[in-house]
Amino acid sequence: MDFSLSEEQEMFRNYVRKYLNDLEQTKIARNYLEGNDVALKSAMDGLAELGCMSLNIEEQYGGMALAALDLVPIYEEIGAVLLPGLLLETLSLVVPLLQKYGTKEQQEKHLPKIAAGQETWTIAWLESNSSYRPAGVQFNAENGLLNGKKILVPDAAIADYTLVVARTTAGREIAGITLIIVPTSELSVQPQLNIDATRKSAALVATAIPYDTTQILGTMDTGWGILQEGLLAFNAALSSTIVGSLDKLVAMVTEYANIREQFGQPIGRFQAIKHRIVDMKMELETARSLSHYANWAYDTHAPDRVEAIASARIYATEAFNKLADHSVQIHGGIGFTEELDCHLFVKRARFYENYLGSTEQYYEQAATALGW
Amino acid sequence: MDFAFSAKEEAFRTELRTWLENNLPQGWLDGTFPLVKDTKDYELFLRQWQNQLYEGGWAAIAWPKKYGGRDATLMEEIVYHQEMVRVNAPALVNYVGIHMVGPTLIHIGTEEQRARYLKKILTGEEVWCQGYSEPNAGSDVAAIQTAAVKDGEQWVINGQKVWTSFGHMADKCFLVTRTAKFEKKHKGITCFLADMHQEGVEVVPIISMDGHHDFNEVYLNDAKATDAEIIGEVDEGWRVIIALLMHERTGIGAQVFTLEQQFNELVDLARQATEDGESLLTKQAVRKSLMDLYMKTRGSLLNYYRNLTKSLKTGQPGAEGSMDKLLVSELTKQLLAQSISIQGHQGLLWKDDAVVGKSYWQDNYLYSFGQTIGGGTSEIQKNTIAERILGLPKDMGR
Repeated sequence: MDFSLSEEQEMFRNYVRKYLNDLEQTKIARNYLEGNDVALKSAMDGLAELGCMSLNIEEQYGGMALAALDLVPIYEEIGAVLLPGLLLETLSLVVPLLQKYGTKEQQEKHLPKIAAGQETWTIAWLESNSSYRPAGVQFNAENGLLNGKKILVPDAAIADYTLVVARTTAGREIAGITLIIVPTSELSVQPQLNIDATRKSAALVATAIPYDTTQILGTMDTGWGILQEGLLAFNAALSSTIVGSLDKLVAMVTEYANIREQFGQPIGRFQAIKHRIVDMKMELETARSLSHYANWAYDTHAPDRVEAIASARIYATEAFNKLADHSVQIHGGIGFTEELDCHLFVKRARFYENYLGSTEQYYEQAATALGW
Repeated sequence: MDFAFSAKEEAFRTELRTWLENNLPQGWLDGTFPLVKDTKDYELFLRQWQNQLYEGGWAAIAWPKKYGGRDATLMEEIVYHQEMVRVNAPALVNYVGIHMVGPTLIHIGTEEQRARYLKKILTGEEVWCQGYSEPNAGSDVAAIQTAAVKDGEQWVINGQKVWTSFGHMADKCFLVTRTAKFEKKHKGITCFLADMHQEGVEVVPIISMDGHHDFNEVYLNDAKATDAEIIGEVDEGWRVIIALLMHERTGIGAQVFTLEQQFNELVDLARQATEDGESLLTKQAVRKSLMDLYMKTRGSLLNYYRNLTKSLKTGQPGAEGSMDKLLVSELTKQLLAQSISIQGHQGLLWKDDAVVGKSYWQDNYLYSFGQTIGGGTSEIQKNTIAERILGLPKDMGR
């Protein structure tokens, strides 16, 4: 029995933490929301230099061939600073899919560049008034042409490639959906404002854009199952990222409750405050346990991996919204301002709540996996 | 990261499992064993079971071999808890003796005291209770007022204890008294290994909200004790109390595994129980609430394993035990409340009329209210976590 991260994993965490501390933590996100993409680019370059981008890529493509668990400390650290950008989507959605379903040509073309930090990816899934269900995918890719509109595509403006979830056989079923690799520059990018300005959404529009079979990830019409496999890796990673944010929130309120004085004493002495912080701590540690286990279950193909990963994701996203709310309340008036970071966490928590799948669907996915 | 048990640990599991199959009373595993709580027969059955555990070498596995234990490792204790929960083994009547008093005697008792008490703890010949709480000293244990005064060769004890588990069955009491008044209330406390079968001790039952007799009041009117019955030093009993609490190496392992088992049973209940011919498990609201419990139950088990890993590495239990206790007791309450709630109107039926045999869910539900109070209330656990783990300031008045 050993339920802990290894010394090597913790050591890697420290390098990442130190680097992000040097960049003043949430300063990167604040710069990005003000339209300064350079700060993010330079932060990503630095992380790539540390080796973050190559961790889970096969050695022949310039990676270290490590596993999901090895990425956990990195994700916790980037979650703590609400790092913007597409690191998570690129490394824990696209890379596992390219490695498992990509052709040799696709792997040779993309994996070395991703490992070097020179290529980022986004995913285009949602459509106007659609859900994350198969019926919602109506973006047309029949006859070698892309036609349609995707919305809420994350950070499309900085993505070199977009994985487009498209319909190659008309209908509302699982069959007929295909994943297509498209250079983002071939699509029309129309920015959309979202509440979390540290993640920039856009609509992507295609009008008779041609593509060929070399751009298909996996096989034609079977993209849905492939996407679900990729989401297992993604949701395990997302839960770890959120754990990093939760950890930071608990640290922020604990520090504030120790220094902020009212009625002649630190407010952390009042049980109304200290017990609320303990509740936050409990949710943090439970989220952490579920997230560590989810990544372990993914790596080891554990029989309960679907429900383990769904649980980690649901628990983390729900805890994130609650804890971000508590952080505003405990900080009082100053927590309501743009000056402190609380609002950034509130907004990111909402961003992730229904990101690449809804909470409701993941509840149902886990229940079904449990045989209920 | 590795969730496997070693070959040695699995061999230990097989040995215990085999012993249990051969030694549990007839009808225990299939649920036909007649068991009527709160009777003298029940007490005799529990004492007999304790003695069987002793004969088999399973009474106190964590104790050193030289005092009748097995020198069990932390992981073997975990396996022990898992197996005992799996068969829903009879209650350990000498829980206080095995898990608290015995280890404390081994740690800080005299060799004479060990010779006098330990074996009888193991065999169940002497059942122990603990005399901590008083009407005016609940969460604030150090506020105890029960007074012990030296009179010649003897100590004379007067006062009242309350919430004394096993008090009505107990032969001995780990009795906390005040022997002197200092400015700091933690000083001046003395712990006695007191005899319950004497004129000055009167035990009065308390009936809990589940209708059972688990607790007692204990009145001490000129009860007597000798110097030989003092554990630790006179006026320095607080240290003994702390030492005693530190002996729970595996924390609330048994409750964690019980919670896991109850969750699985609750899913079975939802699957089997029907409303208008439909399984409860097809109802959206039930699925959602069970998923919520699944996440939290898994989470608390995994938290426990993570804290256990830390204990294995450092060799001692940390303050995280308070987190396990808080989480598991609160979650147990939530789960058992749900078990009644999802049964709908039928959840009300009690005792022989309950839908599930022997009022299993109703009794456990009512019992669960005590879990967030006994052994330190949830509020006290939160103070501990806030102050010892998070580093928040201490409350006023402490």
